[in-house]
Order: sequence, then structure tokens, then C-alpha cells
Amino acid sequence: MNIRSARFISALIYLGTALLAAALFLVATSGGDYDWVARAGGAGWVFMLTTIVLMPVVIPLVKRKYNR
Amino acid sequence: MTDGKDFKKATLSIGGMTCASCVAHVEDALKGVRGVKGAVVNLATGKASVDFDPSQASLSVMKKAVDEIGYEVVLSTASLRVTGMTCASCVENIQKAVGDLPGVAKVVVNLAAGTARVEYEPAITPLSEIKKAIQALGYGAEERAEGQEALDREKEARQREIKRQRTNLIISWSIGFLVVLGTFQPYWFLPSIIPAWMNNKVFLFFLTTPIVFGPGRQFFTNSWNGLKRGLTDMNLLYATGIGAAYFIAVINTFWPDAGFGGREATFYEAAALLTAFIILGRYLEAITRGRTSEAIRRLMKLQPKKARVLRDGQEVEIPAEEVQIDDVLLVRPGEAIPVDGLVLEGYSAVDQSMITGESMPVEKKAGDEVIGGTINKTGAFRFKATRVGKDTALSQIIKLVEDAQTTKAPIQKLADKVAGHFILGVHALALIVFLFWFFVGYGLWFVPESRLILTPYVLAGMGVFGFALLTSVTVLIISCPCAVGLATPSAIMAGSGKGAEHGILFKEAEAIENTAKLKAVIFDKTGTLTKGEPSVTDVMALGSFSQDEVLHMAAVAEKNSEHPLGEAIVRGARQRGLEPQDAESFNAIPGHGVEATSNGHTILLGNRKLMAERNIGMDGQMPEAERLEREGKTAMFVAVDGKPAGIVAVADTLKETSALAVKELHRMGIQVAMITGDNRRTAEAIARQVGIDRVLAEVLPADKANEVRKLQAEGLKVAMVGDGINDAPALAQADVGIAIGSGTDIAKETGHVILIKDDLMDVIAALQIGRQTLRLIKQNLFWAFSYNTLSIPIGAGLLYPFFAQMVSPELAALLMATSSISVTLNTLRMRSYIPQVRRHGQTGALAPAVMREPSVN
Repeated sequence: MNIRSARFISALIYLGTALLAAALFLVATSGGDYDWVARAGGAGWVFMLTTIVLMPVVIPLVKRKYNR
Repeated sequence: MTDGKDFKKATLSIGGMTCASCVAHVEDALKGVRGVKGAVVNLATGKASVDFDPSQASLSVMKKAVDEIGYEVVLSTASLRVTGMTCASCVENIQKAVGDLPGVAKVVVNLAAGTARVEYEPAITPLSEIKKAIQALGYGAEERAEGQEALDREKEARQREIKRQRTNLIISWSIGFLVVLGTFQPYWFLPSIIPAWMNNKVFLFFLTTPIVFGPGRQFFTNSWNGLKRGLTDMNLLYATGIGAAYFIAVINTFWPDAGFGGREATFYEAAALLTAFIILGRYLEAITRGRTSEAIRRLMKLQPKKARVLRDGQEVEIPAEEVQIDDVLLVRPGEAIPVDGLVLEGYSAVDQSMITGESMPVEKKAGDEVIGGTINKTGAFRFKATRVGKDTALSQIIKLVEDAQTTKAPIQKLADKVAGHFILGVHALALIVFLFWFFVGYGLWFVPESRLILTPYVLAGMGVFGFALLTSVTVLIISCPCAVGLATPSAIMAGSGKGAEHGILFKEAEAIENTAKLKAVIFDKTGTLTKGEPSVTDVMALGSFSQDEVLHMAAVAEKNSEHPLGEAIVRGARQRGLEPQDAESFNAIPGHGVEATSNGHTILLGNRKLMAERNIGMDGQMPEAERLEREGKTAMFVAVDGKPAGIVAVADTLKETSALAVKELHRMGIQVAMITGDNRRTAEAIARQVGIDRVLAEVLPADKANEVRKLQAEGLKVAMVGDGINDAPALAQADVGIAIGSGTDIAKETGHVILIKDDLMDVIAALQIGRQTLRLIKQNLFWAFSYNTLSIPIGAGLLYPFFAQMVSPELAALLMATSSISVTLNTLRMRSYIPQVRRHGQTGALAPAVMREPSVN
């Protein structure tokens, strides 16, 4: 695995997980009395914060695995 | 040597760091460079200490790694005059040769001007090596008059940062003020003085946008630079907060029906004030942080710029940095002494307070040492340069203090670790808070009439998403742990600087922390508690002999002796105006004494065994001799022509401040012990005089470290005070090794703390500075963590269900800035701190212990 593929794999993991979290948010709000702005905006905010939380965790983990 | 490789240590100045997570990022970036073994970054000093293999890692690669994550390596620049260049290939050759040196980041050679401008790090490649590289190619190279530039580079970098933040501050506050006026135009009395068009949302959009993308741009670019490498920092908190507030405002301005609260909930003033407050915090931090390192800048300012040297019998004024060893220099009254040296002729008093902390000028005569940077007060003198450039005491002190400020105290390592993980935790918390208020809190507690604290805003138009987002953003802003990151390094800087002011040099941050926690101090006896030079203390005369006659005859017998006790007797006689003449014959009797003849008399001087062997009756004097020995003195019997003449007692005398220092230590609750190779009776006598109750006697030099270890095994934090060279193993074993009286040759000293003066009261001063520094660290950490502990729940909306009041993002920014500033202001208190033992002037004012003067019975 080279450094580029390590970055790609990291991005796949954190973006994939963040997308999953956003999707879960959308599913959770589907039954309630929420307008589309709240649902889309909320999903966007969840996606962004999840990405920020995951990036510094996932990137070093994958890099460490790549370095091994 | 490490791992078979030659590792080099260099200190780099890093610009642009603002928080504890920046420290972690720069450390990670440097450690990621191939060939770098370790990197320790100090936020307060803006310095990175790097261990690296020069064959693998170069400055340009390290600089690139740091630049890539949004910080900068502040380098020295040198301008060289290059002679002998004739064509473009000369330029290429020089650029290649100099550019390949490990400490050079950039070199630009100008053929027409005959100059080379080099950006370099002197700690890795000194300028002399750069010049050598050019000279090796066959060109001439000499430095243009820019020597002072290197000295001031840190100050310039700091001033650049202050200027940058000041410009940002002026822009953000002047426009931000208009945004606030416009936003609040419909409220209170404002409609009568502010035109209604200022409340137009599009107008506010055009005012706020330059703030967010002008002064606020740094937060977005820095956070993105870090984020794309998987790094999070304070900038990310700001960028998310400012970005979210601005985003809501723009949506509500141009798409008011989108459900974000409509035109009544445009938070332009939040985005503008948030930026303004954060920049205000950074500006004040840049100013106050600079002040904590004032001590080192004061030391740097001491370095004289000019020197008057005798060259071919002529007095020539040259730059101080060009003075060579063995040059003869002249100094007039009021002038600074340019380099270290030895006085050849003349007499004067020199103010050394800036280096040693001594308040009184020190007399200097031929043969005395002078220190570069000190001020000549009264007379003129000539001296020979013995140490120049980086070897002078002042340069060594500056380097030592700088190095100490680059290291981390154990307490700081923990704080940095906490702060480093905090950002991640805050984002996770912001996510949880958002989800909570979105799914639970809004439905349960939202009151349309509720307000943001200290604003006229009513949150009536706020939908569930807008409300949850606002709370989440407030958590991001209010949680910033800037104060935690600053708490320890700023105090360490202040403490090490304060130590240097008093002639106390802490080699590393850990030494300051350990000094504060000391529970036991062991003093070496000879040369530390005592002067290390025996002298005559008592003279007893018998029969018809007078005291002077006894001492004189003893001195005659010992005149040719090289024994320290003999030398003490000769010195003692001369001090009383008794010049001993040469003996006609002299015979040393090993282990017993000496025998000499003078003016037809036979003089015998020695111990009781010698007297017994020669059948000289000294029995009547034995009680007196034993009394002297109990007092730690060596009693020597004198006999003339086979008859007892008297007793001369010699002892190593205590330093003036020994007893007082021990008393002070006891008062501070510190156990005090004395260690010596002497016999127990002498050791106990000395210990009694100074008030020490724990005596470690008959300890060989090699076993001193073991004795230190034994005390440590009792669970005590132990300091060993001794001679930096002879006691090196014990100093190294102790938690704090204090080398005393090092004078000006600081580089040779071992130990964790170096006392320039030979004054035991400086041990107390070191302890007091250490304790005050640790107290400051604890106060700073307390305030910083208390702020976060209290503010996060409030920012997360804990009070909302009870009072229907929310913290606005701009108020969160103000609180956050206040926390950092309060920590730095608390640290600045150290500037006026004077150790208690120094409060009434020098040690003398503290009523020094009355010393036993040599008495003549």
C-alpha cells in the first residue's frame, strides 16, 4: 500500500461513516414533524461534525497500518 | 551517538502557533520528517527542539513540513559580501554548495552586487561554516554588518505577528461595530440615532463578508491545512463557529423562508463579533506572551555591540563579535565590557548584577576575571579576551535559558495531552448537543419568547434546526482550550527568566518543577558549606612564648611545605604581618609533621604522635587540643628546642551564609543533610555550627551518588548541592542537582540548576522561584480547566430549561478570549516577583549568620 492509497482508504472510511451517520439522521427524522430544511441541514451538520471527529482518528490509524 | 548515527540537536523558531494542538501538529510534522528522531515544541517560546540525523534530514525539508501545516520556521538571514565571482556559473556553484548545507533553507547569490543572501538556522549550520563553504570554492566571503539582525529575529517575528493581528483587529472591530449598530438598529433608543437602512440584511451581508473572509480567513486556511492531514486544532473550532453563524445569516438573508429562522434571525453580528473577539484574544496574547520572555531579551540586549581593541599599539574600535581570543581590550568608566577576559592592568568596580544578581559592584584588579555584558563603573582598565562569541558567559546563559524554555515540565506534558484530545472531544460533544436539542430539548423546553443572553434577540422565529445548530456552535466556541495550552509554558518561561535575573539557571523545565517539590537538600561540605580553603582559627601560646612567636615559628617551619595545612599557617602568619624567613634546614616527616631549624633553634610542628616520639610533654595541653578537634579543627603542636611552645589550630571555615541558608531551609520544611569524606567528628562539628542534624560522613566521592539514592528511597525528592565537576555523579543522581559557584564557565557545569554566584542563599532563591512558578502553573491550570468545566455545560444549554436564556456565539467568544487573557495576565505577575530571600536587597540584609572569626587565644 502506498501513501496515496492510504489516504484514499482513510477518506473512504471517514467519509463513508459520516455519510452513514447523516443517512441515519435522515431516517430518524423521517417519522417526525420536521421540514425538509431541518432534515437536510441537520444531516449536513451531522455529516460535517462526524467527518471532523473521524478524520484525526482514522488517518493516523490507516497511516500506522501502512507504515507497518 | 545514538543507534550508530550522529544526531544533532537544533532549536527552531516556529511562527504562527496559537494553541496546544498547534504544538502537537508541529511536533508530529517534524517527527514525520525522515531522519528526525524527536521534536519537542514549546508554545510560549515558539521554539521547537529537534533531534535529527543531518545526513538524512535537512532544514529545508523540516521547514517544508512545518510550512505545509500552516506554520512557519523563523530563520536567520545573513548577507555576505562575496568576492571573486566572474560569471553565472560562479553563482550556480555557490548556490549549490551553500544550498546543500544541512542548516541552509535558501540562498540567493547576486553576481552584479557581489552578495549572497542566506536564510539559515545557526544552531544547525553556523555562519562560519557557510563562509567556509564559499571560501573552499575559491571565493572570498565576509559578513556584511548585520550581526545584530540574528539577535533580534525573534523580536521581529513577534512584532510581525502583533502587527498582523493589530491590522486584523482594526478591520474586524471597526466594521464589526457598524454591523452591531445595524443589527440592533430597531431596538432600544437606537432608531432615533441610526438610520433604518443600516438594518438592511443585504447591507449587513456586505459589511460582514469582508470580516469573515479578511481577518477571519486565517482560521479557515489554517484549519483546512491541518484537516487535510488529519489534524484538528483551535482554528477548526473558530472556523466551524464563524462559518456556521455566517451560513445561517446568509441563508436567512437571501432565502428567508428556508426555515432557519427568517430575516429576524440573521446572526451577522455573531459572525462579525466572533471573529473580532477571537482576534482580540490573539492580539492580546501575542503582546503578553512577548512580555513573559522579557528576561531573555534583556539578557540579549546586554551584549555590547562595540569593543575598543589594541591592534599594533593603536586603539581601534571594532564590532564586539570580531574580538578574538587574546586580544587586549580597553574599557573606560561607564562602558560595557565587550567579552569575557582577565584584567591585565588598572583598577575598577564592575556592576555584575545583570549576570550574577549581585547588587554591589565588584572590585577588579590585575588577574581578576571580567564578564562580557557587565558594566564598568569607576576606573579604566585593560584586559585580555579569554572567551568570545558564543563561548562568553552571557551567550552561554542565553542559550541555557532558551534551551530550558524549549523543554517541557511533566505537568505540561499532561496538560498538552489533555488539550490535544480536547478539540476532538469538543466536536463530538457539539454533535451530541446538536442531536439532543434537535430530538429532545427543543420539543421539551423551547420557549418562543426566550432570548440570547445580553442581546435583544427573541428566538421566536427559530426552528428546531436553527436552535440546535446555534447551541452546537456555541459549544464549539466556548470550549476552546487555549488557556490550558498556555497555562504551563508561559509560567515556565517567566520562572526561568526570573531565575536568570538572579544568577540561577534552570537547565530544563523539569528542574523548575522538581525544585518546587524538593523535600530534602544535601550539601557537599568542602567548598560548598565551607570555603574549601583551610585557615588558622586558634593560636595557643605556652610558657614564655607569645601567640605571634608561636605562629611565626610554625610558619617558618612550614614555609617550604606544599601541604594545605602548612600553606594555611604561612598565610595566617602573613595576615598578621608576620613574614616567615626561610628555614636553614627543613625536613618533612610524612604523616607526622615537619622539623626545621632557624636562627639556631629547632622547630618541631606536628601531631601528638610526633611530640610523643620526641618525648615532648604535651599532656597538659591535651584537653585543649581535644576541644579544638571537637570543633572540627586540626590541632598542631609546636615545640621549640625540645620544649612545648603552643598549639596552632587550622580549619576550613564556613561560608558567611551557610548557617542562614540551612536555617531558611528548615523554616521552609526541608530536611537538610551534609555529605563529606571527612571523619565523623570533624563532620559533626561543622554540621553543628550550621545547624545540620543529618550527617553523611566518611563517604568516598564515588559513593556520594549512593547516599543520594538512599535518601530518594525514603520517598524524598532530593537536591544535591555541590561542586559541578567533582560531585557530578551525585548531582546527576539527585532529583535536582544544583551546581554552585560555577562562575562564568557555565558550559562545563553538570547538574540541573546552575548557580553563578558562590552564595548558598541562591539555593533558597531557586527553591522560592521554583515554588512560585509551580504555584503559577497550578493557578493557571485551575483557571483554565475551571473555565472549561463551567462554560461547556452553560454553552450546551444547561440553563435554558430553567431560565430560557442561551449563550450567544459572540458571548462565547468573549468568554473564551477572557480565559486565555486571564491566564497570561496571571503569569505576568511573575515579572514583579522577587524571591523572599532577596526582598530586602542582598543576602546581607537578612542578617547573615555570625561567623567564627579566627580567634587568637
